Amino acid sequence: MVSLLIISTLLTTAADTTVARELTVDEVVIVSTASQGGRRAVKGQAASIDEHIGNLRNVAMVRRGSYAWEPVVNNMPTERLSTTIDGMKIFYACTDKMDPVTSYVESGNLQTISLNSGLDGNPQATGNIGGSLDLRLRKAGFDADPLRVNLSAGHEWNGHVQVYGADAALSGHRAYANIGAFYRQAENYKVGGGERLQFSQFHKVNVFSNLGFRLTDNDALEATFIFDRATDVGYPALNMDVGLARGIITSLSVKHLFGWASWETKVYYNHITHEMDDTQRPDVEIHMDMPGRSRTAGLYSLLTASRKRHDLALNYDLYHNRRFADMTMYPGGAAPMYMVTWPDVATLNTGLALTDNIGLTENQQVRLSAKVAWQHQRLDNEEGYHALKVFFPAMTDAYYQTTGRVAASYRVQLGGLQLSAGAGWGSRAPTVTEAYGYYLNNTFDQFDYIGNPHLKNESAFELNAALKWRVGAALQVGVDGSAFRFADYIIGHLEERISPMTVGAEGVKVYGNISRATIANASATAEWQPLKWLNLNGKLSIGSGRDADNDPLPLIAPLGWQTQVGLNHGQWQAQVVLRGNGRQSHFAAKYGETETPAWTVCDLSALWQRPIGDKRLTVRAGIENLLDRRYATYADWNEIPQKGRNVFVNLTVEW
Amino acid sequence: MRNFTRIYLLVIFAIAGIAAFTSCNSNDDDGTPDIEIPGITFDGDIDCCSAEEALQVYKFLQTVKILPELSLSIDGKYDITAYAAAGGFHTGYNEIFFVATKKISGNYIKNFEISDLTPLMHMVKMDMYHSTPVGAVESFDSSILAVKRGWVSYIMSSSDGGTWALAYNAKVLGTTGETGPIDITVNALPEGQAWVKSFKVGDDTYYLSIVNPTNWKTGTNAATAYVSKKSAKATTPYALAAERFTIEIDPRMPDMGNHTSPDNTALTRQDDGSNRGTINLTMTGLWRIHLTVKDAEGNVVAGGDDLSDGYSSLFWDVTI
Repeated sequence: MVSLLIISTLLTTAADTTVARELTVDEVVIVSTASQGGRRAVKGQAASIDEHIGNLRNVAMVRRGSYAWEPVVNNMPTERLSTTIDGMKIFYACTDKMDPVTSYVESGNLQTISLNSGLDGNPQATGNIGGSLDLRLRKAGFDADPLRVNLSAGHEWNGHVQVYGADAALSGHRAYANIGAFYRQAENYKVGGGERLQFSQFHKVNVFSNLGFRLTDNDALEATFIFDRATDVGYPALNMDVGLARGIITSLSVKHLFGWASWETKVYYNHITHEMDDTQRPDVEIHMDMPGRSRTAGLYSLLTASRKRHDLALNYDLYHNRRFADMTMYPGGAAPMYMVTWPDVATLNTGLALTDNIGLTENQQVRLSAKVAWQHQRLDNEEGYHALKVFFPAMTDAYYQTTGRVAASYRVQLGGLQLSAGAGWGSRAPTVTEAYGYYLNNTFDQFDYIGNPHLKNESAFELNAALKWRVGAALQVGVDGSAFRFADYIIGHLEERISPMTVGAEGVKVYGNISRATIANASATAEWQPLKWLNLNGKLSIGSGRDADNDPLPLIAPLGWQTQVGLNHGQWQAQVVLRGNGRQSHFAAKYGETETPAWTVCDLSALWQRPIGDKRLTVRAGIENLLDRRYATYADWNEIPQKGRNVFVNLTVEW
Repeated sequence: MRNFTRIYLLVIFAIAGIAAFTSCNSNDDDGTPDIEIPGITFDGDIDCCSAEEALQVYKFLQTVKILPELSLSIDGKYDITAYAAAGGFHTGYNEIFFVATKKISGNYIKNFEISDLTPLMHMVKMDMYHSTPVGAVESFDSSILAVKRGWVSYIMSSSDGGTWALAYNAKVLGTTGETGPIDITVNALPEGQAWVKSFKVGDDTYYLSIVNPTNWKTGTNAATAYVSKKSAKATTPYALAAERFTIEIDPRMPDMGNHTSPDNTALTRQDDGSNRGTINLTMTGLWRIHLTVKDAEGNVVAGGDDLSDGYSSLFWDVTI
């Protein structure tokens, strides 16, 4: 019923991006015209996209600096995730993962960020074993408020972070428009104890627009344009910084409504340019240029329908991605040394996905999803191809893979008890780096990595379950867990006979399949609201990852915990958060990981809202890391310390 | 009689004119394209190349540059012209190409001989002379007999202290000719290139010349080298060593912490006298190819020593 209502209002209201809550979907809300529901960052809209993503369940952020954090979902990083922007595929352009694709948008471009955990991906997702993120763009929709304006400014004292944003939404019966411009900059921040962390600065500008036109009562045309440019971005965890990271994201879509279904077809193109820069670093052994680029053109066609008990989505997608990266090193006096690090890999991928949410009875639901995808890859750069052929004489310049996934889950509500369980199987093709990367230095374990074109697809079998129990009106407790059993898990293997290229590297690893691996996550939560103005929250979580020899895998979360005390009074909200990690005792020494000690920090924040005339003023302020502890999490690349004490104030005016 | 001759000539010219006109037609159906090469008249001379053969030679010569000082005229009837890839000489291995043409038609002579290619260095201060490694001058390949190829590996460059001269003999259609020593200039290679190295076994000196390493690219490359032995009489060109040496290679990048590549194969002696193997290069830049020379019994005769950096002191430098 709910979904029927939503479908019917798809073209006529702003509720375009609100979807029926699916079983495995988690969501953070960045803005919401109706100010209700959903989780959001304490810093509000001014929070960086990374801070927003970090609020999702089972998500950790790998941090190489202040900017462009890499999301890790269910203890799985980029290779095992799918990230889409409104269903559009987009791929990073940096061989060193300095630019997760989430860095090419701004919080202000988005309405929500939704996460499908595990193999049950969104329809456009491919290769999502750990999960799929979809960054949903902000769209005013037709027949909404004629004009909404949102101005925000933020300042953080630690690192002199400045955030400015302005966006407007115009809406009418025939057309709507969203436009916005954002600027964000930071200088080097101080870690706990007061030491300044060099090369932790960044600058970013972003402009975006979404336009919608109603062609007929049942047809609409939408166009998106995002330009995002980051410059002078420091990466304290790495040996290099970034001079330029630029994304241009465009799309054009048509939507058609039937009585009981909607059909959207989108064509898109995005172009990422990335240039590393080591000229600001002292003591550079050998200066090098390392540019990369990634271009993706694609389309998807999504048919959603609601019939009786079924909510169906059928999606066809096709994309073509080209990725090229090279490296030129300039030894003083001698001839430059040149190599192609991504040999202009052209990937053509096409897939068909089907999902169905079935309401069995009032209190029982089943969700089924499946996707099959086929891809062809060709190496278009001769030099890069011949270089790789030194290591793999039998390789060819073209490969194809078929991947797929199926997942099913069941949910039942028994009074205050909600139970859900699911299972899935899926596979992914090796990434460009894993298959064709060439001497990519990984500063995590100090090895040079070479791709392996003979890799098999990695696959995993997933089981998950969750239980929520409402005990009386004030208390709710829950536990949930998921486990992934991998076959042909892809990870780097030490290859003794190959000599490293990077000066100071420990050796060379070549990607290979290991017969099996296991990754599991579990968490427990409790929410208690003893008084109207007081709520208490607690959460415990832990991860586990083991390879075929039962040795720990890298970047697996240790015991983590968070308690939160929230207060509400009139126009005021305040919270105190205590959060921490236990010692990461099961660190992956075999894969170059070092132990991370336990830490605990305390954050304070407050929100104050009041109307001023027809405008609404929101002030958010807080102190992060109140006690100025010096700490690093297990996901801080090379253990770069987190920010020390930080005071922030964000102002938002909306009308 | 005069009229008859005039008519006869008229008819001949008319036929020739029609033939010329029709053969200019690119849609010609008879499948024999009209070949025209500047400076060459095709007169059916059986000593010379057919139009197709001449075109092949002509096309090849477009890829090399003439060495004007090394030209030789024989009996006023034939011209020998020499060519090199860059139109000059440098230290290390140099290929020299020769063609013989008939003065009358400019056409390439099908087959001829070049012998006694003799480079000679005059060390001015000591007033001493020595030669350098050379290879026999032979046909370029079995299909192009009209181009001869030889090589000289200069062990030093021209300088104030020493000048190079080159001489050769030619035999064209039974007629012989010879150049005197012709002064030539041998340029030093740029920084990061060292393509000829020597080693001693007892009293004998050998030279290792690597062939055209600038043709190498990132990836797997066929590598060819020659091992020449210094002649007992130093002014006699150094011929290929009779001993069957094997050259083991260890390519390293000194600017990259002595980074190396895997799966290189030793340059082993072939029946044609060359040493051939495989070299893998993982990127462009300066490669120092450390050498270990072994005799037919597998004994190390040169290189293979460990310098303070752990690598052989005998090496070629190649920058690609």
